[in-house]
Amino acid sequence: MAAIVRLSSVCHRGVKPLFYRSSLLSRPLVAQQKDQDCPYPLTARIHGSSSLYAGSGSKAASLHWTGERVVSVLLLAMGPAAYYFPGPAVDYSLAAALTLHGHWGLGQVLTDYVHGEPKIKMANAGLFLLSTVTFAGLCYFNYNDVGICKAVALLWSK
Amino acid sequence: MALLLRTFTRKGTCLFRPQFGSLYRHAVPMGTTANEEMNTYWAKNNKLNRPMSPHLTIYKWSLPMMMSITHRGTGVGLSGGISAFALLALVLPGNYPYYLDLIHSLSVGPALLSLAKFGIAFPVSYHTLNGIRHLFWDSGKGFKIPEVYRSGYVVIVLSILTSIAAIAYM
Repeated sequence: MAAIVRLSSVCHRGVKPLFYRSSLLSRPLVAQQKDQDCPYPLTARIHGSSSLYAGSGSKAASLHWTGERVVSVLLLAMGPAAYYFPGPAVDYSLAAALTLHGHWGLGQVLTDYVHGEPKIKMANAGLFLLSTVTFAGLCYFNYNDVGICKAVALLWSK
Repeated sequence: MALLLRTFTRKGTCLFRPQFGSLYRHAVPMGTTANEEMNTYWAKNNKLNRPMSPHLTIYKWSLPMMMSITHRGTGVGLSGGISAFALLALVLPGNYPYYLDLIHSLSVGPALLSLAKFGIAFPVSYHTLNGIRHLFWDSGKGFKIPEVYRSGYVVIVLSILTSIAAIAYM
C-alpha cells in the first residue's frame, strides 16, 4: 500500500500535492539559464512558481485534489470491509463514499467537456441534484430494504 | 500581452537583467487560476467561431489512451448504474428480494447469466485496478513509458481474471 504511505507523507507536511511544489517546476529551467545572458526563461519560471502568487490564490483546488484521493483510498478499503464485515455501518459508509467518489468523478468529466459559464453552472447544478438523489436513494435502501452488502450478496448468489 | 512580454525578453534587451529585478515582477500577468485561464481560452475561441483541430480522429491510438478513456467510461457507467439503482429504490413499490425473484423467474440461461455478471464485474474490477494504478501515479511512481505499458497490461489481465474468478467462485 505504497499509495497510502505516500499520501500520509503528503498530509503530514500540510496539504501540498507532490506535483505542485515550485521546486519541481523550476528545476528543469535552471539549466537553460546558465547558457544565456538574458534570463528570459526566468519569466517562464516566475509564471510557474507558486511563491509569487503570494496570497492571491486559495488552496481550494489542491485540497479538493487531496480529498479525492483520500476518498478513493477509503473506498478501496471498503471492498474487503463489505465482504468480511457486512452490516449497516459498512452499508452507510459505502453509500457515502460511493456517492462522493462518483460526484467528484463526474464533476471532473463535466469540467473537461462542458464549457461556457452558464452551461457549466447548469451542468454542476444537475450533477448536484443527481448526487443528492443518489445518496438519498442509497440511504433509503439501507434503511428500508436489505442494504447494499446484502443486495450484492443476493444478486451474486443467483 | 504575450507579445509585449516577448518583445522585452528578447536577447540583448537589458531590461530583465537581475538589477532590474523589481521591474519584471510587475510586468508578468499573475494570479489567474488554471480554471480561469481555461475559461478565457474557451470563451475567446468560441467567440471567434474557430473550428477545432482534428485530434481524436488523426492521432494514433495507444494503449494508455484507450485505458484512460475506458477508465472514464467505466466510471461514468458505474456511477450511472448506482444512481439508477438508487432512483429505482426510491420510486418502485416492492422491495429488493421481490424484484430479484422477478428476474429469477425470467429463467435466463446460464450463459446469459454469466455474461450479465461479467458485464457488472468487469467494469468494477477494471475501474478499481486502474484506479490503484492512478494512485501510484499520484504518488509519483511509474511514469516511464515502459512502466506505463507494463502496469497497463497487468491491470487488463488482472481485471479479466478477477472478473472470471468472481463469476466462477460465486
